[in-house]
Amino acid sequence: MTDPTFGPFGLDPWWLVIVKVLGIFVMLVLLTLFTIWWERRVVARMQHRVGPNRVGPFGLLQSLMDGIKLALKEEIIPKGAHLAVYWIAPVISATTAFIAFAVIPFGPTVSIFGVETPLQLTDFPVSVLYVLAIASIGIYGIVLAGWASGSTYPLLGGLRSSAQMISYEIAMGLSFVAVFLYAGSMSTSAIVIAQEPIWYAVILLPSFLIYVTAMVGETNRAPFDLPEAEGELVGGFHTEYSSLKFALFFLAEYINMVTVSALATTLFLGGYIAPWPLSLWDGAMSGWWPMLWWLIKVQVFIFMFIWLRATLPRMRYDQFMKFGWKVLIPVSIVWILIVATARVLRDEVVLTNRELLIGGAVTIAILLIVSWVFQSRSDRRAAVRAERQQAEANLTFDPMAGGYPVPPMPGQQAVGTSRRARAGVTIVQDRSDVTQEAIDG
Amino acid sequence: MNVYAPILILGLLAFGFAAFSVVTASITGPKRYNRARVDAYECGVEPTPQPVGGGRFPVKYYLTAMLYIIFDIEIVFLYPWAVAFDRLELFGLIEMVLFIVTVLVVYAYVWRRRGLEWD
Amino acid sequence: MSGEDWVFWVSGSFAVLGALGLVFSRKAVHSALWVAFTMINLAVLYIANAAPFLGMVQIIVYTGAVMMLFLFVLMVVGVDSSDSLIETLRGQRIPAIGLGLGLAVLLVVGVGNGLVNSGTVGLVEANSIDGGNVEGIARLIFTDYLIAFEATSALLITAALGAMVLAHRERWLPRATQQELSKARFLSGSHPGNLPTPGVYARHNAVDTPALLPDGSTSEESIPRPLQARGDIRAVDHHEVNEIKEVDSQ
Repeated sequence: MTDPTFGPFGLDPWWLVIVKVLGIFVMLVLLTLFTIWWERRVVARMQHRVGPNRVGPFGLLQSLMDGIKLALKEEIIPKGAHLAVYWIAPVISATTAFIAFAVIPFGPTVSIFGVETPLQLTDFPVSVLYVLAIASIGIYGIVLAGWASGSTYPLLGGLRSSAQMISYEIAMGLSFVAVFLYAGSMSTSAIVIAQEPIWYAVILLPSFLIYVTAMVGETNRAPFDLPEAEGELVGGFHTEYSSLKFALFFLAEYINMVTVSALATTLFLGGYIAPWPLSLWDGAMSGWWPMLWWLIKVQVFIFMFIWLRATLPRMRYDQFMKFGWKVLIPVSIVWILIVATARVLRDEVVLTNRELLIGGAVTIAILLIVSWVFQSRSDRRAAVRAERQQAEANLTFDPMAGGYPVPPMPGQQAVGTSRRARAGVTIVQDRSDVTQEAIDG
Repeated sequence: MNVYAPILILGLLAFGFAAFSVVTASITGPKRYNRARVDAYECGVEPTPQPVGGGRFPVKYYLTAMLYIIFDIEIVFLYPWAVAFDRLELFGLIEMVLFIVTVLVVYAYVWRRRGLEWD
Repeated sequence: MSGEDWVFWVSGSFAVLGALGLVFSRKAVHSALWVAFTMINLAVLYIANAAPFLGMVQIIVYTGAVMMLFLFVLMVVGVDSSDSLIETLRGQRIPAIGLGLGLAVLLVVGVGNGLVNSGTVGLVEANSIDGGNVEGIARLIFTDYLIAFEATSALLITAALGAMVLAHRERWLPRATQQELSKARFLSGSHPGNLPTPGVYARHNAVDTPALLPDGSTSEESIPRPLQARGDIRAVDHHEVNEIKEVDSQ
């Protein structure tokens, strides 16, 4: 069998491959250090604090210093740990985080030392599947860390996060289907090129939204950071990890954040293709510029992650699972069927895009009207019921129940808003007699 | 070079880095033995005695894992279908609708029997 | 050796190693991990044989499946369980050996039949007929093997039903609301709120020092249960307590 190649991939000389590998490795480490600093600064600003600003310009070297500090910390291995698995878990986490990045396109073909090569380590017909496969191996790092620690909280955290990640991996996998349908390929570079006229985030908006939700769940970030819910599980799966082993989990978490952002950029935001106002400039797609557009798009997603973390409280576990299984999955399946049907209608019945859009709009309008009719009917019924309850509650509220002033129960209305109005109410005097009796007796 | 070799090289580099870090940590850090420190962490309280065999887990997770596999397999069929959709067209759509509806039947069953609820 | 040979010998050996590890591991969880290792190596072999889609699917589906096995072990056998060497099925060895041999014969005949009777096209041609590996698989699944594909959905239904029957407990009563739970907590007569903190009113604030009740006796509830179980309760210095009492009574 000859060496497999795929388009322009698989043709690089060996030294170029090594240059690209080192480039990706260094970029990921630097992006992690930068993202940690960036996150701390942004969250600090959102909470009216300053954030790290001591080490280096603007505190930029803070995360590097933290890393060095971690290396010099004592390594604590709990006595209940299953040693081999305990050691291998952070290695699995970090390695899978790095290699998932191999198929992300940063830019079109450029010339490096005189060799024309695409700005992407490698690509093959199923590269998006490759990312999914590596992500599902990455879950092992977390589950094994939880199990191998030989301690209760990490085990609970590890299991929780495995349940969470497999639930959201389905939603994530389903959100890709519509993209593959439009692009007719599962290779990342082909999907980017297929978005030359228009981003899939625009035409496949529901898929995009589902993916963005799932990617937050998949990376265990707020508001879905249940595996590390401090109030319930201490640090979750990495409670018993310290020193550089902990640093590796941390690194993996941030690299995964970058990877899912990069995948979102690739599949939905047109990868390295220049966005609209920039695309008017002819040079926007020449040379190394596309890599900048790519980086900006990825940073937008990372900023979104940080913003979410600073804004939203953590979800409750049962609500979170319910959302994944009962909302994201059925919605994505229905959406896939809609997309496929629309495509068949366009190609076989030969409807134009405009007719399809009008048809879709009419369908949505009809659905909205029907649901509005049903909703308003049930609203009216609920309102009648609530009114009846309200009336009953008003009758039975006794502000001096049991001889002491009490607040209204839920659903009851406080009577007499002003003090003067209440003073005139006979109930108060009645009750004061009662209390007087009680004191006398 | 072939398209998979770069992944192998990146993998070796990443693995080397991770393994190096894990090993370094045990050399660079100080070692001060303390009995309490190597106990399982339970917020400073003496750890709860572990039951024999480590205890068991709620069987609830099993259902989630099974449903995951079912949907995973469904997705695996959806991918080649999506990629080749323009060739399969209406025939492919009908096939997939049949398949999805069958899987959704059991999804609805699990939903109705409250298999998707956590408490 | 060509690159493919290298991949075959390395991944093939790893796959066999994983399989051996599965059989010889004492801990059930370690066995599950060896399965995952074997499956990933098989995936590498598929990819080396120009079946990238199959390889990736192998990883995606089997890592999930092994994860389930892992959970199953945790749930059914226990978190730290090891193999017990007592055979519960009596006389299972002879049928097991027979079935194993049967499988081996089937595999040899099947593979041999494929090698001898069918002409080989070559991987490159096989992948390029429909314009790619994925397209080729799609054509085969959705045209030639249509019935097998639709029958898979029936299999999936069976799997989900089985899981429901085995692992799901029907809820007969409505779920208790927060209010009902709170009422039940008070009605049970046990301590509704936090237990008393240890050390209060005594001369120590250590967790193994019980709190003193107003009459000078100690409160057992204030000591964390693990400490109680091990009998690690520090005696209260009643001399000092009595002094305080005397001061109070004057």
